[in-house]
Amino acid sequence: MLISTIFSKRKFVLSMIVLSVLLLAIAPLFTPPYVTISLITILMYVILTLSWTMFSGPTNYISLATAALFGVGVYSSAVLKDSLPLVLIVIISGLLSFILALLIGLLTLRLKGVYFILFTFGVTALIRNAIQWWEIHFTLTVGRHVSGPGNETVYTYLVIIYSLTLIFMFLLQNSSYGMALQGIGENEDAAEHIGIDVTRLKVLTFAVSAIFMGAAGAVMATRWRYIDPTIAFNPLLSFLPVLMAIFGGTSMLGGPILGAVIFTLLQQYLITEYPYLYMLLMGLTLVIVILYLPGGLLVLVMKLYIRLVIQWAKTKFQWQMLKTRWQETWRPRVSMALAQWRLRMGWRLGRKRS
Amino acid sequence: MKMLEGIGITHRFGGLMAVDNAEFHVEQGEIVGLIGPNGAGKTTLFNIVSGAIKPTSGRILFKGEEVTGMKPHLICHRGMARTFQTTKLFTSMSAFENVRLALLFGNPERKIGRKEAEKEINQLFAVMGMLSDRNKPVKDMSLALQKRLEIVRALATNPQLLLLDEVMSGLTAKELSQSMQLISQLRNRGITIFMIEHVMHAIMGVCDRVIVFHYGSKIADGTPSDVAKDPTVNTVYLGK
Repeated sequence: MLISTIFSKRKFVLSMIVLSVLLLAIAPLFTPPYVTISLITILMYVILTLSWTMFSGPTNYISLATAALFGVGVYSSAVLKDSLPLVLIVIISGLLSFILALLIGLLTLRLKGVYFILFTFGVTALIRNAIQWWEIHFTLTVGRHVSGPGNETVYTYLVIIYSLTLIFMFLLQNSSYGMALQGIGENEDAAEHIGIDVTRLKVLTFAVSAIFMGAAGAVMATRWRYIDPTIAFNPLLSFLPVLMAIFGGTSMLGGPILGAVIFTLLQQYLITEYPYLYMLLMGLTLVIVILYLPGGLLVLVMKLYIRLVIQWAKTKFQWQMLKTRWQETWRPRVSMALAQWRLRMGWRLGRKRS
Repeated sequence: MKMLEGIGITHRFGGLMAVDNAEFHVEQGEIVGLIGPNGAGKTTLFNIVSGAIKPTSGRILFKGEEVTGMKPHLICHRGMARTFQTTKLFTSMSAFENVRLALLFGNPERKIGRKEAEKEINQLFAVMGMLSDRNKPVKDMSLALQKRLEIVRALATNPQLLLLDEVMSGLTAKELSQSMQLISQLRNRGITIFMIEHVMHAIMGVCDRVIVFHYGSKIADGTPSDVAKDPTVNTVYLGK
């Protein structure tokens, strides 16, 4: 209780959101270009993880459709390339993902547990293969080229999408709908019987979360320049956000962000340092986190922070104790002793003098 | 006026006839008890009435309007609330938040401000005598409190008909008499009550009328004392 009350204070969360956006906005001015490039990858995963958590975090419906919703954004961007300004392309891609998520939601959200997971995974594979089939038979290509506006533009777009995702999620979590989603996750029957329109809330949240995934996909297509169905609908894009969210913790806003950032950095480090052991080490880390930190990394960070606060208070208190003890017991004694000594010396000196 | 009416309700789980052509009604302002041996189809009937499951055949009328097969949240908005046999609370939230959710979503036509909601919720807790427990997390509550919290949560949706599914089982003698008082109080507030109960003492104490179910169909219907004397009911419960 204590932990979450400190960290879920609205003002604190809000100021952290603003701070993170500001830092991201000014980062390219002070850092070398390769940092921007790696920030692009990190931001992509952060957006995907955040929007995955938006729906799956409170409701406990594990969706593996992230790759499909992201890939639709990638493909609509590749198909529309140059015909429209990038802003419009990004918006349209978001809306297309919204529509797809609406359809998936209406089809699948009656399913629960493992059936839902499997269905969303199946849908992703279906869409990937359908597009591949279409491309081979009708456009007679496998991949598509997308013109890139440059890394700075890509970065700016991602920062904007990131802030929108974060703001939307903050508003959702602090609204009664956020609480209703939580209720659905804990007991759907009960939620239904106290008047929550469970199906509508689930489908709409799922669809809105897809907007951000689609928009991110549209932007990433211009970063990658070349895309094909296996890139756009890479199954890893479905799995990684789930792992990252669990890694960071889904109960608070900071969890998915922390999870995605650290996971991506760790992944990049392990790939370059231990290319053959990378998957093994990654898996090991995950197992350790899930076993020993069921609340995710954020909970660990918060526990450490609280220990620090308590330690600080303790030190302060001990210092105060020392000070009062000095003032109350030792100082009078010392001054008494000094006075006596001075007297005695004075007496001695006096005798000597006489 | 008939608050609730069931006409020829039948529900089959595969080959099992859980409810078999049941006819029943609940008048406005009544407290009606629904009793019967285990597996008689009482909870299934409640699930059908509250919209959790759709009956194989038959009709449910609520305040004279058909609600058969309607979704639970819509039935709730029309003024029917229920509790569950095994408590179904939002365990990671506090008692207060459980009730707040019900208040906000159970009354869609009302716009309730934060302050107003808090006041109303506190009132509800006061009525049920658990004002001091309102900020407790649900997982730290005793079963008796959890059952009472379910009633508070149901009341927050402002119901005219309250379905209580075994709210008194597993309570101590003192808690039992408290619960019986509470139920009479609810009736005085103008709420019609339809309750499943196994505790005979409670049924005899508070109910105006008792419906007895056996193998999915009604075998008796009348005042508690009449039903207690009924030979078929005695055979079902005690054997010949």
